[in-house]
Amino acid sequence: MGSETFCGSIKEELNKAYSGFFKENWPTWLAGILIAFMALMIFLWSSPWGIAAGYRNLGDWFFFLTGASCIKPVAPLLHPVVIVNLGLFLGALASALISNQFKIRRAPAMEYLKGLAGGIFMGAGAALAGGCNVGGFYSAIGVFSIGGFAMMIGLGIGAYLGLKYLLWEMEHLPQKAVFQQPESQKDKFDWSIIQPYLGGLILLLIVAGFYIYSFLDKTELGGLLFFGLLIGLIMHRSRFCFVRAFRCPLMTGESEMVWVVAMSLMIYGFGSAVIKWNYLQPDTMGVYHPFWIGSLTGGVIFGIGMLLAGGCASSTLWRLGEGHTKLAVTFIAFAITNSLVLSLLKKSGLIDKLGTGIFLPDIVSWYIAVPFFVLILIGWVFIALWNEKSEKFVIF
Amino acid sequence: MTTDIENIKADEILDTRGLTCPMPLLKTKKILKVMNAGAVLEIIGSDPGSKKDLPEFGNKQGNQFLGMLDDPAGYTRFFIKRG
Repeated sequence: MGSETFCGSIKEELNKAYSGFFKENWPTWLAGILIAFMALMIFLWSSPWGIAAGYRNLGDWFFFLTGASCIKPVAPLLHPVVIVNLGLFLGALASALISNQFKIRRAPAMEYLKGLAGGIFMGAGAALAGGCNVGGFYSAIGVFSIGGFAMMIGLGIGAYLGLKYLLWEMEHLPQKAVFQQPESQKDKFDWSIIQPYLGGLILLLIVAGFYIYSFLDKTELGGLLFFGLLIGLIMHRSRFCFVRAFRCPLMTGESEMVWVVAMSLMIYGFGSAVIKWNYLQPDTMGVYHPFWIGSLTGGVIFGIGMLLAGGCASSTLWRLGEGHTKLAVTFIAFAITNSLVLSLLKKSGLIDKLGTGIFLPDIVSWYIAVPFFVLILIGWVFIALWNEKSEKFVIF
Repeated sequence: MTTDIENIKADEILDTRGLTCPMPLLKTKKILKVMNAGAVLEIIGSDPGSKKDLPEFGNKQGNQFLGMLDDPAGYTRFFIKRG
């Protein structure tokens, strides 16, 4: 029976909202819509959403502090992409704490090696493709950069190769499970009681962070921190993983993540067409992905890495917020490799041979670019749906 | 319902604790392939992602997901009946 007093009613509704927000998993399709909306907000607020450049800034700092590079990078807390990533990580951490899902999670030794290799592959792949699964694929397609479609094909090939390796590993290098025996609960403080409060505190600190940035005349950075926080919350609550869109059709035939990502991309693309066609932002903004050699080969290498690591650039961040120590290794390896490989590509001049950014409407006009974009995504969904029934591409 | 799940006797047990997505799912699929129809597989896992993946996968290919049970020790037990 519901409470009839005002305070009782408010408390009841807050409890319901808390339970709906932080106890139940959010539907993936809802997350797809929300992520497209957040990506458009970031695009309007600053520039198209990316992640790898934030990893790279930390890698650049590693080389600068170890004396390997003499170029001082931008301070992380002033780097727009680092700020979005920080918000994403903290949003996921807050979400994990509030829902009592945060735990330092160990993995078998072999998994750490895979996390390392996965980070190296993803770092190198993102350097070649001019972005990761977000900047090089999701945002690239969303802002009509042809390189995004090439990376999409590359990610599919990479996912196939990565899955082949995982199947081989399962047969030849079986791993023993690792179980962390909980310590005796006697005389031990129960962290689960204060976890939700710590999560709430992080949320409040980020809101405070926005005001601090704004006070320092860096409102753009404050906004990015806030958008990152929302993306982290959405991704953690829905367990949104781009890897599944490429892996699951080959592994179980499941097509859900394909249509969710395709739908999300359509919303993003339509929004971005409105923004660009009306010159609310420069129409070639975010179009720099090296089509086709860089995007395709980078996609293949990145795809292998995301299968090995069990997470892409975005899911590495939110899973890190949930306490997965394997992904801490991936994060560090990604950051350092991305910085190193991009620097080598630039120094060797190879970067100029990987291709150039091509804006689809520049070639075929907006009138053809938009239907082309829609047809490609619908085609992807139909193939995935057919595969779910026929298991034509399921390799296991 | 909880009592029912607690009383399930599994024919095979797969321990995936410490492993993360997609390994618990891959191992589950592999072991289900060689199990007899009607046999029950218990998967023990600690990856929060398995709580989403295994119930969805468990009801595919004629199999039946029987339920899951959180153990106070910090892991989850999942039960799938081979179809």
